[in-house]
Amino acid sequence: MQIDIGYRPAHSMARVALNPGEQILAESGALVGMSTNVSMTTGMQNKPGGGLLGGLMAGLKRALAGESWFRNTFTANGGPGEVLLAHAMCGDMQVVEVPGTGLHLTSSSFIASTPNVNIETRLQGFGGFFSGEGAFVMQASAQGPNQLVFGSFGGITCLNCDGNLVIDTGHLVAWDSTLTYKVGKSGGGWIASFLSGEGLVCHFQGQGRIWIQSRNPIAYGQYVGGMLPPRKG
Amino acid sequence: MQMQPMAGGMPTASAASVAHEITHGPSFALLRVDLQPGQTLVTEAGSMVARSSHLTMDVKMGTKKTLGFFDMLIGIVIAFVRKVMGGESFFVNHFHGSAPGSVWIAPQMAGEVTHRRINPGETLILSSGAYLASVGDIDVKMKFGGLKSILAREGAFMLQVTGNGDLWFNSYGGTTAVDINGPFMIDNGHLVGYEGQLQFNLKSAGGGMLGFMAGGEGLVCEFNGTGRVYIQSRNVNSLVGWLSPLLPQ
Repeated sequence: MQIDIGYRPAHSMARVALNPGEQILAESGALVGMSTNVSMTTGMQNKPGGGLLGGLMAGLKRALAGESWFRNTFTANGGPGEVLLAHAMCGDMQVVEVPGTGLHLTSSSFIASTPNVNIETRLQGFGGFFSGEGAFVMQASAQGPNQLVFGSFGGITCLNCDGNLVIDTGHLVAWDSTLTYKVGKSGGGWIASFLSGEGLVCHFQGQGRIWIQSRNPIAYGQYVGGMLPPRKG
Repeated sequence: MQMQPMAGGMPTASAASVAHEITHGPSFALLRVDLQPGQTLVTEAGSMVARSSHLTMDVKMGTKKTLGFFDMLIGIVIAFVRKVMGGESFFVNHFHGSAPGSVWIAPQMAGEVTHRRINPGETLILSSGAYLASVGDIDVKMKFGGLKSILAREGAFMLQVTGNGDLWFNSYGGTTAVDINGPFMIDNGHLVGYEGQLQFNLKSAGGGMLGFMAGGEGLVCEFNGTGRVYIQSRNVNSLVGWLSPLLPQ
């Protein structure tokens, strides 16, 4: 399949060109449009052969992580087909191949993938929870050729970590699983961290790629939210 | 009168300016500054996206390296008033290191980041909230804008930038520089900053009381003189007005 991303970096949309019989797995609610010979099935599937209980557990973990219960599978029947996908938030999208060593994604950045990509939801620890990012990250793994589409709020930049790098947790999108990371405070001392406005940052070590987004949705929400009229009730 | 859209996508490293690059403009602009030992990057609190691990980050109350006692006292009073009347956080971060390193900076709102080289003798006035970062001997003072400023929805304070160094400011939407020579009107909420021999007054956009209350166009800033005005292509008040009825009750 061929995936092209248009309208970057602010209003990205993915156009997926499927060969006859090919399938793409997408986040629920990501569909913009599709050609008439493409059929959609909805399921909670995570791994093939997981069974109903496996599917329920996977769906529950995803719901806690901020993604939806269900995933949709689009299949092109009897000819080539096209599927258009977009993220709920305005922002950027990128297509990557999940390396054999795995890829970590922040919750809610997953948009679509080839069916052979396995996504596990993992508890990231309380550091992430207190930063407001949610306690979960997703880990993607796959055997063989694959494609994964992730999205962001803001423009996506790929940084190469060769040693050490410090990234604000609200700006993370995805990173190679070859990196080790620790969530902590940015400056020295808790008062400095609070006053600096930086909150929690992620200290990365090792070799790998880190994809960052140029806007922080939580800071954006607080900024705009602070100007909105108070809710009634 | 000429309109010039700001080009933010090119990497620049001249003898005069600090090496930096602005990407993903004009909607989600991201600034990367490459620091050499001895250079200090001052940024608005909360704007860091990423940095090289070995750079040190200090939290300070102003852009100057050291503040006298009275400066700090005045600073605390102004910080309190600003908190109450809206505007930027008063704290800034100073990034520096003993080896070359990079810092990635982004504002909170969707929009553009513009670089401006400030030379001695120049004064740039920015709306509070527009300051993002600076390198060099840049002094950012808060000026009380008066009732005029409050009614223009710019907040009570404007920022006065002078010195010798590099400055980056942000906007909501894209930034356009307009060189003016004579009267020019800007809708309130679209002003980012101005420089030169300019004064502005508040005027009604027309339509009298009905225009003011129902038209949503109410007050405009009329600039007069010779200079340059920076405007932004989006208006935060319009965003808030659009979002409010869509929220769940």
